[in-house]
Amino acid sequence: MSQHLTLGCSTGYMYEQRGDWPGLVRQAAAECSFAVELAALSEPELPGLVRYLETGPSLPFLFVSVHAPSKQRHVPEVDLVAMLARLPRSIDAIVVHPDAIGDPSLYRGLGRTLAIENMDSRKPEGQTVEQLEPLFAALPDAGLCFDVAHAKSVDPTMAEGARILDAFGDRLRHVHLSSLDDDCHHVPLTEDDESLFGPLLSRCRDVPWILEAPPSS
Amino acid sequence: MDPRGAAELLENPAGALDRLAAVGGGSFPNLVAARGYTNAELDRRAAELADVESAVVLFGSWGREELTSQSDDDWAVLGDPSEGVLTRCREVLGGAGREPGQQDLFGLSFLCDDLVRNIGLDADTNTNLTRRMLLLLESRAVAGRDAYERCVAQVLHAYLGHGVRDYRPPRFLLNDLIRYWRTICVDFEGKRRGAGGDDPKYAERNAKLRTSRKVLFAGGLLPVLLCHQKTAGEMQDFLARQLAAPPTDRLAAAFITQGAVAEGVRALGAYDRWIGLLSRPEARAELAALREADREGSELFESIREIGDELQRGLLALLYETRLSPLTRWYGLF
Repeated sequence: MSQHLTLGCSTGYMYEQRGDWPGLVRQAAAECSFAVELAALSEPELPGLVRYLETGPSLPFLFVSVHAPSKQRHVPEVDLVAMLARLPRSIDAIVVHPDAIGDPSLYRGLGRTLAIENMDSRKPEGQTVEQLEPLFAALPDAGLCFDVAHAKSVDPTMAEGARILDAFGDRLRHVHLSSLDDDCHHVPLTEDDESLFGPLLSRCRDVPWILEAPPSS
Repeated sequence: MDPRGAAELLENPAGALDRLAAVGGGSFPNLVAARGYTNAELDRRAAELADVESAVVLFGSWGREELTSQSDDDWAVLGDPSEGVLTRCREVLGGAGREPGQQDLFGLSFLCDDLVRNIGLDADTNTNLTRRMLLLLESRAVAGRDAYERCVAQVLHAYLGHGVRDYRPPRFLLNDLIRYWRTICVDFEGKRRGAGGDDPKYAERNAKLRTSRKVLFAGGLLPVLLCHQKTAGEMQDFLARQLAAPPTDRLAAAFITQGAVAEGVRALGAYDRWIGLLSRPEARAELAALREADREGSELFESIREIGDELQRGLLALLYETRLSPLTRWYGLF
């Protein structure tokens, strides 16, 4: 992993500073200034992130993704998508969970910026090629955010992860990298998982890898 | 891919783009269409110039086999032809809005001997360097093929004739190639400054730097680095075979042989989108009209920036995250 050129951090694991976007950016940049994922995992976090980005802050990163909310959803989907569409063009990817998408047609306006993430074993959909296929068919410009730990939770042999890359690899925009605990929470990448994920990660060397938990060392 | 197939591709990358599509499950419809169009137009021009013995060479998108209906005819005659030959070329090439892009470089004749004799130092002008590199990296003969191939061989020999060691990339050629790429980048800023800060071609040049020029450079860099697998005596023929294939074949072959098929499909898939944009007259017109000041608000330019980023990430993965990485690190900077 340390050989990969384009590593970055998700602000999702920086719990202490949640909501303090300038502080989160500083902390993420201190870890790695190449790429970042600004995670508004709960819906109340998104307006603050949009306002922050609308001020046009000067960011050190070459790749910036935004993780759209998947928790505490209250706003009508059409309004949420409208808020995502307000994000500046400098955002490279907007990551959305399949189970957070009610009406795929609402997301077409996000074009190639939209990245759909494969889900872990707790989620009712978005885990397999067959489950992701209808979404990608409805959203032909959408990219794939490949969460390699989610793929392991669905199939520890990693065969389903390989199938996802076989089917949608041409859409790959970036990778989410971590291990998962027994409750499917993101934890630092273990040595065993790094070895297990190696063959699949070796098919993803051209895209940013976003760490969803603090680096192990 | 089986080792034998990889070895064959390394020796002759022609057709590698098709192989990449086949093994990687991708498709490159715009590149395939542009290749077909290039070869049909090359045949047509060759037939019209069948009576010309001098080497008539087409550069740029012709040499990359990426011709679209909107491309320029960047041509030159090698040697010292009669005015009659130049007139014949002007009758067949250019016209209908396809006039050569840079009047000091194309649409005229120059001596192969100047390319060979003047490498480095003051006599190697910007024009001479550009002609020499374009001849090697992206050119096709439309008449006088033998004379053209002799000139390419002479230029390669000028780089390889002295001091080349077995299994070491030839540094003279490598340094000149890197110099040329950096010269393009520096001249891009020079042209902006020369235009008083409002270069009407700024956005178009910037778009090409992000895409076609990057393919031009990487398509030359990879064969030169791969010379580390060759003895000094093998390098000239190896490079001649490599450079006879279009740059996208050279890149595709490198992605395949380095075990980076998925990355290659995405990188060349992005480049395919660029060729698709260039083949649309309205997109080309919009790009030509864009200025530096308004490019940030342009969806077209944003698409081009994204294409350039995807292409570059793929090339960087190839150069720094495969078995090529030690070579790139060792030879790329010093």
